[in-house]
Amino acid sequence: MNKKAAVLGAYGLPALVVLFGNQPFEGYLDAGSGSIILQAVLGVLIGALFAIKIFWHRIKAFFGALFSRGQTRDGSEPEDN
Amino acid sequence: MMGPSRKTTREGGSFRDPCGFVFWRDGVVYRQVALIYQQHYDHLMSSGLYKALVEAGLLITHTEVGSESVSAESTYKCLKPEPVPFISYPYEWSFSQYRDAALTTLRIQKMALDHGMVLKDCSAYNVQFVNGKPVFIDTLSFEKYVEGEPWVAYRQYCQHFLAPLALMSLKDIRLSQLMRVHLDGIPLDLVSELLPFRTRFKFSILSHIHLHARSQQYFSDKRVRKNRHRVSRLALLGIVDSLESAVKGLAWQPKGTEWAEYYSDTNYSEEAFEEKKEVVRRFLEEIRPRDVWDLGGNTGIFSRVASTQGIPTVSFDVDPAAVEKNYRECRRNNEAKLLPLVMDLTNPSPDIGWQNEERMSLIERGPADTVLALALVHHLAISNNVPFSMIACFLASMCESAIVEFIPKTDSQVQRLLASREDMFPDYHEAAFEREFSQYFTLSKRVRLTGSERTIHVMKRKPL
Repeated sequence: MNKKAAVLGAYGLPALVVLFGNQPFEGYLDAGSGSIILQAVLGVLIGALFAIKIFWHRIKAFFGALFSRGQTRDGSEPEDN
Repeated sequence: MMGPSRKTTREGGSFRDPCGFVFWRDGVVYRQVALIYQQHYDHLMSSGLYKALVEAGLLITHTEVGSESVSAESTYKCLKPEPVPFISYPYEWSFSQYRDAALTTLRIQKMALDHGMVLKDCSAYNVQFVNGKPVFIDTLSFEKYVEGEPWVAYRQYCQHFLAPLALMSLKDIRLSQLMRVHLDGIPLDLVSELLPFRTRFKFSILSHIHLHARSQQYFSDKRVRKNRHRVSRLALLGIVDSLESAVKGLAWQPKGTEWAEYYSDTNYSEEAFEEKKEVVRRFLEEIRPRDVWDLGGNTGIFSRVASTQGIPTVSFDVDPAAVEKNYRECRRNNEAKLLPLVMDLTNPSPDIGWQNEERMSLIERGPADTVLALALVHHLAISNNVPFSMIACFLASMCESAIVEFIPKTDSQVQRLLASREDMFPDYHEAAFEREFSQYFTLSKRVRLTGSERTIHVMKRKPL
């Protein structure tokens, strides 16, 4: 047995068992190769768009809160333009 | 308490997931949790996800009843879930029911991610309508989320939810019936072929259906290692958000079909209509049924005579537009006792799937205590040429009591059915109706509706 194999045997395999041993049912549902690749590719684009959307909502919420605080100090409803 | 010698029957459709299965004992449904699912089940319960989902009315409740089950050595726990009054299937849902089920599943996925879990199974059959709302019934569909891993159930979600909804909305409402043929969801290449070309300019449909189909086709013979392709948490949230926008962007308006407009076309006077409702109400009060199936229930006017008395009622109709209207009204009024479903009584849902046991036929899901068959018999007898004896046999197979309306040939509704065809029904008259139904039922009462020759009969099924 060479040194690499010995190291793998000593540390690698137990590590793999710890990492994946608790998921014995992995693969019960066929995720589909094409679906996995699409998710990985689409995820980058959609994830970026989603980040922008969240960021935009936060900006809107911040200014919305700032604006409504000024409007509703006397208890009146903020105007919806 | 369960004992090992008691007879246990495994649910026909519960065999794919090694994490557990559903079984019946003494008429009570249980769910076995396998040892291999232990850490995921414990996380579901300890992370607060189960509590949050139950409080939001999104997941069926359960109680732990001990670990006695069919194979004790591989069992971690045994659960007794809250019973579902009537099991329905996606091919029986109206458009909005399907859409609500799809959005419920995504809401659950988002809540799961908030608690460090993810849906590993997105079958539409995991959603049932309980108290008028879509509820997730598979407690074992959650697994611990591993950052970077692709979503295993993405393909299944697209095939089970997005694809049928897109077909129903953008092509033809009747295409929901493809779910009856394709039990694991409609293949995306077929959906891509069927959808109009213009849908390629709709980003969500282009990406989750058309490109998805092409990607599946291209990589079909290539092996891909799941952990080589990272999907960050943000990307996964983005995909879920994109699917949600796609589903929300699909719509369908129920109009123009024959049955959805039935009551506005009818020759009923307002008084006759109210009288008919009153007669049905009185008969139901006498029978006091535990549940009612309204066959040919249209938009649910007479179903509501039962459901507003607190009787769990299923309202079946062949017309997706009528069922859609019925469901929208249920949702508007928060009606908990009424479940509208699409069902063609001349070809009711059969036993399908592996060994014909995965999905139950309509009759298998019965018998109902009482069946309403109002303004139905003439359609079956004249439009579908079904003899009275076979109609009586069919009704006897699914109920203990029945409230049945007989409409004679002189009525304009029957005349309309005969307008475009030869009258080859010399035996279509009330005496023959009573004679044939008497073979299966004891006819106890008969009421003639004022101002018409229509009669309503109450009957009790004879012992088989």
